[in-house]
Amino acid sequence: MSFLRILLLAALYTVDFRNIAKQAGLTDVFPNGGTVSKQYIIETTGSGIAFIDYDNDGLLDLFVLSGEGGTNRMYHNEGNGRFRDATDELGLRSSGWAQGVCAGDYDNDGFTDLFVTYWGQNHLYRNVEGKRFEDVTASAHLKQDRVRYNTGCAFVDVDNDGHLDLFVSNYLKFDPATTPHPGANPYCFYRGIAVNCGPRGLPFDRNILYRNNGDGTFSDISEQSGIAAPDGHYSLSVLTGDFNEDGLTDIYVACDQTPSLLYINKGHGKFEEEGLLRGVAFDQNGKAMSGMGLDAADYAGDGHLSIFRTNFSDEFETLYRNRGDGSFDDVTLDAGLGQNTRYVGWGTGFFDFNNDGWKDLLLVNGHVFPEVESLHIDIHYKDRAILYENLGNGRFRDISQSAGPALLEKHSSRGAAFGDFDNDGAIEIAINNQNESPSLLKQTTNPPGHWVILKLAGTRSNRSAIGARVKLVAAGHAQYGEVRSGGSYLSQNDLRLHFGLASGTKIDRIEIVWPSGTKQILTDQVCDRVLTITEPLH
Amino acid sequence: MRVIKVALLIAAALHANDDGIIAFKEGRYSEALAKLKNAASARDRAFLALTQAALGDCKSALPGLTASYTDPTIARLTGLAAVKCDTANAFTRIERLQEQFPNDPDVLYTAARFYMKAFNDATFAMFQRTPSSYRVHELSAEIFETQNRYSDAIAEYRKAIETNPNAPELHYRLGRALLLQSHDPAALEQAASEFRSELALSPEDGACEFQLGQIAQVRGNAPEAKSHFERALALSPSFVQALIALGKLCSQEKDYKRAISLLSRAITLQPANETAHYALLTAYRDSGDMEKAKAEKATLDKLQKPPEGEFSEFLKKLGEKQPEQ
Repeated sequence: MSFLRILLLAALYTVDFRNIAKQAGLTDVFPNGGTVSKQYIIETTGSGIAFIDYDNDGLLDLFVLSGEGGTNRMYHNEGNGRFRDATDELGLRSSGWAQGVCAGDYDNDGFTDLFVTYWGQNHLYRNVEGKRFEDVTASAHLKQDRVRYNTGCAFVDVDNDGHLDLFVSNYLKFDPATTPHPGANPYCFYRGIAVNCGPRGLPFDRNILYRNNGDGTFSDISEQSGIAAPDGHYSLSVLTGDFNEDGLTDIYVACDQTPSLLYINKGHGKFEEEGLLRGVAFDQNGKAMSGMGLDAADYAGDGHLSIFRTNFSDEFETLYRNRGDGSFDDVTLDAGLGQNTRYVGWGTGFFDFNNDGWKDLLLVNGHVFPEVESLHIDIHYKDRAILYENLGNGRFRDISQSAGPALLEKHSSRGAAFGDFDNDGAIEIAINNQNESPSLLKQTTNPPGHWVILKLAGTRSNRSAIGARVKLVAAGHAQYGEVRSGGSYLSQNDLRLHFGLASGTKIDRIEIVWPSGTKQILTDQVCDRVLTITEPLH
Repeated sequence: MRVIKVALLIAAALHANDDGIIAFKEGRYSEALAKLKNAASARDRAFLALTQAALGDCKSALPGLTASYTDPTIARLTGLAAVKCDTANAFTRIERLQEQFPNDPDVLYTAARFYMKAFNDATFAMFQRTPSSYRVHELSAEIFETQNRYSDAIAEYRKAIETNPNAPELHYRLGRALLLQSHDPAALEQAASEFRSELALSPEDGACEFQLGQIAQVRGNAPEAKSHFERALALSPSFVQALIALGKLCSQEKDYKRAISLLSRAITLQPANETAHYALLTAYRDSGDMEKAKAEKATLDKLQKPPEGEFSEFLKKLGEKQPEQ
């Protein structure tokens, strides 16, 4: 595509997201608690959603989690813009309150496996050659000794031994038999109306880290690793990343109504929680927010992973800019993100919707209390999404009102996953809506800029390349990305990395630091394609 | 023999007084009055006074109710009864009781009840005697605000301004209500306009300058925010929120020396202000003084511990309940 043609297309391009879920065959409704009122907190936290290519056909499939009364469903991408429900043939029919999902090839057999968290027993599904999933929870030693409210999860190679370990966040201890009813104590009210109780007033629980033993089993190392040390946190989403750039993956956890946690990886399977001093525990006023969803990206072009967290209504969303040493500044207001305070935000992601080389930002919303409608205020149980365009100068602009009807649809959304399901270079967004069918947001016209999608395959590192860090340079503009399991709100994005290249007609340089420590450099690569890169053996 | 007889008489009297106290406790006040009429000890005289108060004979009760008692249980009971009997001095007595028994629910309830009654009486008098005063609308608006009825509050503030355009604080309060009523970014401009109107009336209103600074900050305009915070502080040098806001902006500008000075002053004025400690922690960290940053963290950790009290205890007990397996 010539430079002039790019300019012409850019002039004609208007962002127009449409919800194509129905046309794509995504019509199943996913139950998740009450629609008019909710008696218990378990009905509020909702469920995640995942883009994964389970059969390695190069097309992203979609896995949608369900609350009680339904089943999780895997939809196979048929390649014609439609998805087919393959749940039963894959052995994924389920029941219970599914919460989070994360993907990774934990046994390094070349097929992406799935882990699903529950209020109740989690499930590890081993992908058997893309043909079916085998529930190996028990044989992998991942059975839990009591009912836990597991929420976020992420496969992460904490010791870079080539085997994906597993982090699971825990929200709180919940038992309907002992949980007070709406209105029972001061923590069971919202703006004067009786609502389900919690999280305040409900017992805390601890987060979990399982070490992958490399033989198909896991060991709980929460205590010896330091992961279980923090007490007094209601943990939800998990975000992994090498925030202090020491070659070891750290773990950030969004916590509800309590300080969020940053576990700094000290090596040898040890972590220390340093969220407060590093500036990511609170908002800029030193107050704990109701953290829900998370993502990280180099949004400012400075080479460092900054963190975005969605929060509750009457709170700002939070953008923490990485100072380069793994400590952060709250730059929410300076970045122009201070004006949307009526939403309860959940799934979120940095993604370059217009392929201009700068990561934009989308978040999906929906209040936790359907009862809020009785107040007749401007806060609603179902609400629209927000799309911020990255202006390339450290600031964002809210373009939700002019970005197409899909952004303005009102749902009580929770999980959101980002991925290019039709490999056309434009990212789509799948959203899990409470008690509705999912949304699938796609632009009506492709953005004008060039692009590339990198599919990384580890050899010495874990096969999914989770933790691999990429620097990509095109047209003089450097961008960074990191392969990540989990994230958003209890969801899984495409494991491949998408980069918008604007007018760059070729990729000048790609530098990859693999989790094994191997460094790889590619130059003069062709753009507008999916580029598979395999880790060199030496 | 005579000694035994006296002892028996004393025992009978004590027995009668105990029965009187039991009768009082069970609400049999007439019976209690009869049994306590010859009360001699301080305890018995206190219960006689309490009985008299319960029967509405405040005149007889007051001397006994207002006497000094060393037993805190009796002091509390007589103090509460004296509040009801001696309405002319009720507020003084309530203040004293709150000092002596700060966590007592009966004392707090009695205080709340009396203050509420005083509020209702004054409000009723105002509505009856000066119905066309702007103060009626102002008070109505304030009441609506306490009920989270911000639209109604805004309407009343506007009526108050219409009635008395030059009254101070109305525009300020209207601006605040506008911010509380709506999350729409457009409300920011409406509120800013009211704060500017208030400043036109009261050019030295530091609170308005602070609000305008906050609005500028939300809009991402740090330089404008800074100038408002500077003015707020010039007008009110002990304005803690302005000290903190300006301190944080100085940190952002890497002027750590001034940031630390402003934030330290805020902490001197309000030692338990968590926001100030957090901002100071950040300023120390960013200036490279990790030791002082850690000291601030330790202070913050202490401040953020949940307050002790009955409700915290209730929650702890709730936490001890293990979910059923």
